[in-house]
Amino acid sequence: MIRKGLGALGIGFGLWGLRLLLQALSLDALIRLPLWLGGAVLVDDFLLIPLTLAAGWLLTNWSTRPDHHRTVTTIRTTLLYCGLTTLIAIPLLIRQGKGVNPTVLSRDYLRDWLLLEATIVAVGVLVTVLQRRRLTFSRSRASSGDIGGR
Amino acid sequence: MIGRWLGVAVSVCFLTGLFSHFQQVTPGWLVIPSRPASLYRVTQGLHVLSGIVSVPLLLAKLWTVYPKLFAKLPWPPSRKALGAVLERASILVLVSALALELFIGFLNTLQWYPWPFPFKETHYALAWIIVGSLLLHLAVKLPLITANWRRTPADRTPVPRPADSLPPAITGLSRRGLFRTVAGAGALVGIASIGQSVPTLGPIAVLAPRKPNIGPQGLPVNRTAKDAGIQVKDDWRLTIKGPSELSYSLDQLRALPQSRSDLPIACVEGWSQGARWEGIRIHDLLKLCGAPAGSRLRVVSMEKGGFYATSELPPQFAEDPLTLLALRLNGTELDLDHGFPARLIAPNRPGVLQTKWVHRLEVLS
Repeated sequence: MIRKGLGALGIGFGLWGLRLLLQALSLDALIRLPLWLGGAVLVDDFLLIPLTLAAGWLLTNWSTRPDHHRTVTTIRTTLLYCGLTTLIAIPLLIRQGKGVNPTVLSRDYLRDWLLLEATIVAVGVLVTVLQRRRLTFSRSRASSGDIGGR
Repeated sequence: MIGRWLGVAVSVCFLTGLFSHFQQVTPGWLVIPSRPASLYRVTQGLHVLSGIVSVPLLLAKLWTVYPKLFAKLPWPPSRKALGAVLERASILVLVSALALELFIGFLNTLQWYPWPFPFKETHYALAWIIVGSLLLHLAVKLPLITANWRRTPADRTPVPRPADSLPPAITGLSRRGLFRTVAGAGALVGIASIGQSVPTLGPIAVLAPRKPNIGPQGLPVNRTAKDAGIQVKDDWRLTIKGPSELSYSLDQLRALPQSRSDLPIACVEGWSQGARWEGIRIHDLLKLCGAPAGSRLRVVSMEKGGFYATSELPPQFAEDPLTLLALRLNGTELDLDHGFPARLIAPNRPGVLQTKWVHRLEVLS
């Protein structure tokens, strides 16, 4: 019952949206909109996701080498955050200096983007160093027979 | 889990967007209150924020269910196969509409429109299609969802990984690791962009198209006087058409009792900033022209044509003591780009309805 209600409401909302589109858009725009919708799916499913999967696969393979698995999480997160922030920064970088007035897009986005990526990488490196240091510390304690008072 | 987060973000985005739509096209049955004064600032800031945060959430969701994209449909044709085809079609609608909606929404905050269809109408219509296909998706998955919620904590450990999501051998990620990474990604893009609505975080808003405190009188501008084709002549006068018709020069307006309002400019593109406005209460002007209580008011700009050349003030906004015909901003006379000689400023309204370069007020009822 709830299921049918939800489904009916969903179809109703969708048809309402379709009606709004048919009312507001010219025939030319209505023909081109599906191309843009298709393009959005292509970019997501056949560019961004495969790219992430390929990078993830390479990284996972690399991580099977001795000791690499300990830093792989940090490296993956760093790469992912760099990629994501770059994706969002792309339109800002393209439109840099082309705002409709001086108060739109007034930042130096190239500098800001580089700073942001540098910060993400720096945090990633810091976390990796701390992890390695903790690892070396616990190893030296283990090899010296001191394993936490037990 | 990521689906749930995305659902929450999309719902917040939809509801705040609907509020913004109703602010601009108010249906007869709806009365929008003039308080809290910063309500629209918060809702529209949330609208853009939830949209930006949805980008990593949508990508993560698509990533986790990626193998399903290549799943074979049941064969031979049957009722079940038909159901599966319809379900896949509804997901195609959901994903394509949501991806395009987030893309055009973000580009709108840059005021960049490289597509061949009108932004506002398409953005609004796609929102209904997204919510509709999301509800349909929930209806299809309802048995799975309820089964998941009915599981006791004992059932949940260890968590069985659904066969059709990516195995750890490819991803090298645990479930918890994935959630943490995605939550971090959402927080990162949120923090890097929220500063356009929260000026204290402005300096680190490196992914936001707007920077606070930039512009004439330290306040950003959406539409400059040049863009609007405005030239103010020395003999400018404000006309008020009500039960009695009044006309004031700028000096005469300055001689009327002045009030001060601390109100934000909150734009549909999500940026907002508080400012100190000084001018004459609209309520006082209505009284001067003998308008009855509960009057609506049309505010007319010198700007010719276009959707925002006039705006209407419902009675609750016209009567609010914070609503001003502003002559001064942050301690000095209004800059031409901020609407010199006079502009409207009211609480809980989108910036596009805060009409600039006002030269006529018309009492409607």
